[in-house]
Amino acid sequence: MGLFSAMTASVSGMAAQANSLASISENISNSNTTGYKEANTNFQDLVDSFGSTGDYTAGGVTTTIRYNIAEQGSLTSTTSPTDLAVQGNGFFLVQNSAGADFLTRDGSFVESGNGNLVNAAGYTLMGYSLAPGAGTPSQSLSGLVPVNINATALSATPSTSGTFTANLNSNAPVLAGAPSATNSTSTSSLTAYDDLGNSVTLNLNFSNISTAASPNTWEVQVYSPASPTPTTPLTTQTLNFDPTTGGLTAASPTALSVAIPGGNTVSINIAGMTQLASGFQVSTANMNGNAPSQVQSVSIATNGTLSYVYSNGQTVPAYQIPLGNVSSPDNLTNLSGEVFQPNSNSGSLVIGTAGTGSLGTIQSSELESSTVDLATQLTNMVATQSAYSANSKVFQTAADLLSTLNNLIGH
Amino acid sequence: MSLSTASNIAQSGLNTVSSEISVLSRNIAGANNTGISSEKTANIITALGGGSQVASITRATNLAVFQNLLQATSANAAQTSLLSGISTLNQTIGNISSSSSSSGSADNSPAALLSNFTNALQSFEASPSDSSLATAAVSQASALAQGLNSATATINTAREQADAGIATSVQTINSLLSQFQSVNTQIVNGMATGADVTDAQDARDTILTQLAQQIGISTTTSPNGGMSIYTDSGVTLFQGGTARTVTFSPTATYTPSTTGNAVYVDGVPITGSSASTPISTGNIAGLANLRDNLATTYQAQLDNMAGALIATFAESPQSGSGPNLPGLFTTPGATALPTSTTGLAGQITINPSVDPSQGGNPFLLRDGGISGNANYVYNTTGQASYSARLSQLLTQLSAPQTFAADGDIATNTSLSAYASGSVGWLENQYSTASSQQTYQSTLVSTATTALSNSTGVNIDTEMSKMLDLENSYSATAKLISAIDSMFNTLVTNLSNITVPA
Repeated sequence: MGLFSAMTASVSGMAAQANSLASISENISNSNTTGYKEANTNFQDLVDSFGSTGDYTAGGVTTTIRYNIAEQGSLTSTTSPTDLAVQGNGFFLVQNSAGADFLTRDGSFVESGNGNLVNAAGYTLMGYSLAPGAGTPSQSLSGLVPVNINATALSATPSTSGTFTANLNSNAPVLAGAPSATNSTSTSSLTAYDDLGNSVTLNLNFSNISTAASPNTWEVQVYSPASPTPTTPLTTQTLNFDPTTGGLTAASPTALSVAIPGGNTVSINIAGMTQLASGFQVSTANMNGNAPSQVQSVSIATNGTLSYVYSNGQTVPAYQIPLGNVSSPDNLTNLSGEVFQPNSNSGSLVIGTAGTGSLGTIQSSELESSTVDLATQLTNMVATQSAYSANSKVFQTAADLLSTLNNLIGH
Repeated sequence: MSLSTASNIAQSGLNTVSSEISVLSRNIAGANNTGISSEKTANIITALGGGSQVASITRATNLAVFQNLLQATSANAAQTSLLSGISTLNQTIGNISSSSSSSGSADNSPAALLSNFTNALQSFEASPSDSSLATAAVSQASALAQGLNSATATINTAREQADAGIATSVQTINSLLSQFQSVNTQIVNGMATGADVTDAQDARDTILTQLAQQIGISTTTSPNGGMSIYTDSGVTLFQGGTARTVTFSPTATYTPSTTGNAVYVDGVPITGSSASTPISTGNIAGLANLRDNLATTYQAQLDNMAGALIATFAESPQSGSGPNLPGLFTTPGATALPTSTTGLAGQITINPSVDPSQGGNPFLLRDGGISGNANYVYNTTGQASYSARLSQLLTQLSAPQTFAADGDIATNTSLSAYASGSVGWLENQYSTASSQQTYQSTLVSTATTALSNSTGVNIDTEMSKMLDLENSYSATAKLISAIDSMFNTLVTNLSNITVPA
């Protein structure tokens, strides 16, 4: 019967508009929630009769609420380096206190009491440890550990390699006497670190030992006051220089191998040494390694590498923060706290390094704003209100018609 | 794009402008700093979500000009300390500015005293029996000896001052290096975390200019923003975030035979004769040059004069045989001629037996036998008019003799020519150092001006920038009020819509 179907259809319309209003109110209330994705109400009609002549039975309408999860929110800058945002399609991998894995775009992470990075909704950021011995990131959920920036640990890194480049004066007189710890033409030094982080000074003594038979020949000796025998060279090499270019000859050694007392055997690259008619001048003197020092701050690169910055200025990569994605992000299961979970509709979770594929980059000191636009929501609200009124009008009209019918019977 | 996006962008604009204003006010505040204060710029880029953000704060630098400034500062400091040391030495020859090029005009120089003594001796030779002329000759001899003594004392004082100056300088270097270490760490750290390190970089440059005053330096920068410092001779002062220790043990009292200690960097000598790579500029280089070279050369000249005086006035045996014995000039308590000239100028004195003030007889100068040995008496007959010995002494005084080469001036000449040569040498050292110092200080002021022109803060530019920023701020604020009024319009109009009931 047409009249009753008109009434039920308008009731379903009112219910649908009420759903729509509910989604609008959720959107408006989350218009300032970091990483919130706007909810959209989608309407589908319901058809009851199939083109039969005569009677027409109205169907109705039903609604589905969809979250536009794939939409990129605009990034706003903050002052905290642990505030993170994804510029692209990826999601941060987080865990709740029960150890369940979720995806989120809410990167408002702060250091918790135990040093883990926890966002405003209480989820812990997960990453792969880059500590020595931790292996390469597995790019799966199994290798994930909470990202911990606890700054109390001391760390020392023993030296393993260095570079020393200098010009030796081609006009320097030939050294009188044998080269020794105290007898050399020119001297410089490098700071290296042993296994325990003690600084070890390496003195590099360069001596002109040219003779008429072998001109342009220098001897380099490396001494260390930390050595048990400080007057015995740790290494001795003979350098031959090309008389036309001033650089080392092809046959000449280009690296010094020095066993640091109490430390590693370091390789000092001296390939850039020259012998030109200018005074002794050092242009590069570097050595890796660092003394024990505390973590002072962290820095997070766009590829998700979280590095500890030690008080002596050394940066050491500590964690790889991966990003995850699914083939259909809009179908992810939406849960409280701006977190999502993969399901059969969304496709399975793929984990990768930020900056690869379409995962996007991780921006430090930025937060992703809510995708809700207030003006749109307000105008939608008016439209919903109008539609609701129209539905109620239909209901009232059908009711009037029924009462007319009833009155007719009453007479 | 939506209204809230527009609002976010406008907000980022306000943040950017306020950062720029804060950089600008730092520039203006630093415009009159005495240290290095370069112009800072906030670099603005388009932010990811639209709008703008401060990507970094950088400062104007000009490495070449700055290195020039460091070199000129070091060279100037070396000449300035050398000049002040030579000024002290100049006390031995009177006020240099009032003396002309002739050696005799400075009345207290050894040359002038020698000339006075020669004149008195000539007068005595003319009237060998005149006791007042004899006394006058002896007293001029005493004045000459005392002149040489006080000149030696002055040289010792100058060397002691230079030594103390080096000690102070080494302390300053060590304290500057430790300051440098903390500022350098701050910069490396800040660059790793992307913090604003421009003020620390200015502070580091200021420390470098102070360090260049003390010691000639060259620097290299590594990719992480850290810096290494080497002396101008290539010895490492600071590398790998670690300052090397500069050591020096001062010597409180100097005698002509004292050799000052070298300055060591990490055990490597950088001054003195044992250094294979000696530094050439900076306060320490100037002081070490004065202490170890200039003052000792001048001392050698005075010692050679004293040695020549003792030898010239020595007496030879007139009967029998024996060694020559000291005559008018001797060293206290000496019974034989000195074998080495080292330090003689500080010890030379006149023999008490000729000094009337010590009960001596001035006529012994005429008669010989000053040592008290009768074999050395020239005037064997005791004649009051005997002048042969005095004539012989005057002849020997004016005759050319050979001086040791360590005096660095003509070695085969008469004593008086040697004495005036010594004065001329010192005056020449002074004028060389003085003109070098003037030249280097001009270089310093040129380099300072060039650095300030290329990297310094220009108040006019800053002021005009400030006006721009003010305009930009009001425009952005206006934008925010426009967005606000649009939103109001929306809300007002929506509430006016009457939905049919």
